[in-house]
Amino acid sequence: MADAVIVVALVLVAGCATVAVAVRDPARQALVLAVLGVVLAVLFTAVQAPDVALSQLAVGGALTPLLLLLSVRKVKRRKGRER
Amino acid sequence: MNSWLLAGTVVLGGGVGATLWGVATGPLRRRVVAQNLSTALACPGLLLLAQGYERPSYVDVALVLALLGPVGTLVFARLLTDELAADPPRAWGLTWAAAGLVAAVVLALCVAVGPSRELVKILLTGAILIGGNVVASHALSGGFAEVRGG
Repeated sequence: MADAVIVVALVLVAGCATVAVAVRDPARQALVLAVLGVVLAVLFTAVQAPDVALSQLAVGGALTPLLLLLSVRKVKRRKGRER
Repeated sequence: MNSWLLAGTVVLGGGVGATLWGVATGPLRRRVVAQNLSTALACPGLLLLAQGYERPSYVDVALVLALLGPVGTLVFARLLTDELAADPPRAWGLTWAAAGLVAAVVLALCVAVGPSRELVKILLTGAILIGGNVVASHALSGGFAEVRGG
């Protein structure tokens, strides 16, 4: 019965990853990726790997969205300058 | 499967599932609120899992999430300022409802754990999470207008 946690976490990861692929706007994609990082950390905890979950939280929860949003901003600024 | 794991599964499936729906659809302001709430709901889920697996060290994951989740939301609040300034998200009802859930879970865990070092850690996690989420929600609704720009 303890597998129910793993099943729920797997379904959440699959749903979140599908949404991350389906969303087209990079800023909104960054939001979905932040949630995906949290959900992946939950999955890693459910399969008894809290050490992996810790690094996943740092990378997926804060660093990935930061990098994405900074690059989106830089690209937008360059476009604005060319016009 | 003990009742802690069951409660954790319900919180994760219902709460994080709902925030996943919120982050997938609707306008940008709804999505940032859902992203903020995903932290506030995953953290009590992780606390319940730690109690259900009887591994006190798993509380560390929830503690790190409570620290880094609001930081992630602040990143969005800072870098999406222009998009959010037009129609700022205001979801104080949802924020306080999530804070209430966190408080209830922390209280139940404190009663179950009893006075020990673990209790302090769980209390610290709950306090950081509620405080961080309120600050992040305030930032999303444009509360820190004086640090805007750039």
